[in-house]
Amino acid sequence: MTDIDIAGVGVWSEYFSNWDEFCSVLAGGTAPQVTPLRPELIPAKERRRAPLGVKLAVEVMDQACRMSGLEPDKIATVFASVYGDMETTDYMCRTLDAAPRTVSPTRFHNSVHNAATGNWAIATRSHHSTNAISAFLHSTPMAFLEAAIQTIEEDLPVLVCVQELVSPAAAKPIYDSEQPFATALLLTPPACCASPLASVRFAVRNEKSDYPEAPQVPGADSSHNLGARLLPLLAALATPGTAALQLPVSEHSSLSLAVNVPAV
Amino acid sequence: MNEAIASQHSGLKPNDLQGCDLETWIGRVDSLDAISLPPQLAHMLSRDNQMAWLGLQQDGILESLTQLKKQIGADRIGVIMGTSTSSIGRTEEAYTRLLPSGLIREEYRQPEVYSLHAPGAFVSAATGLEGPSMTISTACSSSAKVFASAARWISHGLVDAVFVGGVDSLCMSVLYGFNSLELLSSSICRPFDRRRNGINIGEGCGYAILAREELMPDAEIALLGYGESSDAYHMSHPHPEGKGAVIAMDQALERSQIAANTIDYVNLHGTASQANDRIEAYALAQRFSRHTLASSTKSWTGHTLGAAGILEAVITLQALRHGLLPGTLNCEETDPDIAFGVLTQNVHKPIRNAMSNSFGFGGNNAVLVFGRIND
Repeated sequence: MTDIDIAGVGVWSEYFSNWDEFCSVLAGGTAPQVTPLRPELIPAKERRRAPLGVKLAVEVMDQACRMSGLEPDKIATVFASVYGDMETTDYMCRTLDAAPRTVSPTRFHNSVHNAATGNWAIATRSHHSTNAISAFLHSTPMAFLEAAIQTIEEDLPVLVCVQELVSPAAAKPIYDSEQPFATALLLTPPACCASPLASVRFAVRNEKSDYPEAPQVPGADSSHNLGARLLPLLAALATPGTAALQLPVSEHSSLSLAVNVPAV
Repeated sequence: MNEAIASQHSGLKPNDLQGCDLETWIGRVDSLDAISLPPQLAHMLSRDNQMAWLGLQQDGILESLTQLKKQIGADRIGVIMGTSTSSIGRTEEAYTRLLPSGLIREEYRQPEVYSLHAPGAFVSAATGLEGPSMTISTACSSSAKVFASAARWISHGLVDAVFVGGVDSLCMSVLYGFNSLELLSSSICRPFDRRRNGINIGEGCGYAILAREELMPDAEIALLGYGESSDAYHMSHPHPEGKGAVIAMDQALERSQIAANTIDYVNLHGTASQANDRIEAYALAQRFSRHTLASSTKSWTGHTLGAAGILEAVITLQALRHGLLPGTLNCEETDPDIAFGVLTQNVHKPIRNAMSNSFGFGGNNAVLVFGRIND
């Protein structure tokens, strides 16, 4: 059993553009008109050229960071996605088939899985470690676990971001995701942040588990968007009190989380 | 590999990859597409997984794993693979023959292969390891960072050992992508040479077993430390003063609790691009003296991108084991702009501590320090 804190959270979908709106939608309300995705951290010129995946990740990471009050250049990052930037993969594969010598250099360098965390480091001038991982259907809990272990072992705040985009038409038979969704959690060592959003006790158990049933939230359909598999944790964070969750980290093991959210 | 290094025999040759008309040199593994996967893994067919499978057949690594599984149990061994492009080659192929409806054909509907986790999923399935399985994809530092995550997993007690590795295979995305950035050399690559004019892309695979110290009382070599940093400068150009590289080297030395002047050999990232070699040498000169010998082995293998970290970690481990330090093949006339002299000829010299540098797109840096123990 190991203790960490969650010092900030960020979310974005087509139905809510920040944590307050997410909480309102979760409680059954409707979000106001969702503002277009426009991450202020990325300079306008870069923002125009940045793929949706980068803009989305940087936006939710920035939200989580601002909620915590910690300086963004004092934290490491772990980004995770099952299928990565499918929109860019689709562009690359179509261009390579049609006219390979016309591949755009900017789109190519943004095709790497660490494009989001690389752009984050550039935008925040952070020299800390940036990571980008995948663990197939376990990507979301695995990212949380990887970041939590790093938080403890390196005694450093770690921002974890999970994201899944819309699958391109050609790949729908493999994976059918209709809506983009991303969320970020800023994990900190205990007592690093004066008033964290929540404290979490985590452990890995050698027992198989399925994902717990997720609340129905428009814009974050966890049966289609694998990033939204973190919804039960987000729902726990939105509710003062304690909650226990078990999430699968592999075919054989699961991550158990005891979440404690202080009353405001 | 040891023979190729000793005889200075490069694996690079003029580009003959089917479907690619670029004038460059590549490091292609012969007959890779003829390798068949066992029936229980056939659903994960891709050139990248064929490369991973070929790697598993080398040097008795599977036998060592079987032994370790008996000792501690398959559930106490994790898997962390590094890759840049995973199995994107398979998706590229799928897009050349989409159905009239525009959909991917049945045979390419392989969810694990379409995921970035293809190498990790494949290696877990192929080895029967039951610990957590993850794939790191941070461009050209991917399979160096696997050591850092593995060290944390073990230190935290998540597992007692981690099977780490890296794999990348030739595909159109990287060949035409690096071509678009004007980074491909039209001839064989020449790291640190004044005539260097770009990189050669290669494919490769490597593995290592990282285990808790008590489990390996006879181990000759240990991972002493690692460093991970970001340039925070540009997606595809290194920081002009090598700031991120220096931070990663400092971190790795600090974790190793050794001074820079005790590093005997550095396996450089040394891609043979104008910028990388000049800036990496500048970064090295800020920390190391002439006591430290350094070289790039990219002119043997080409730049294997997501596999470069593990491949060069293995070369570094061999240098520690056998005392054969590779010279920088094809570096005939060192660039006067290079601030740190690199080895140009192979040298026989017993060494204690060695470092391996890996730098990638996104300004993603990883540095590993290995050392001889129990001498």
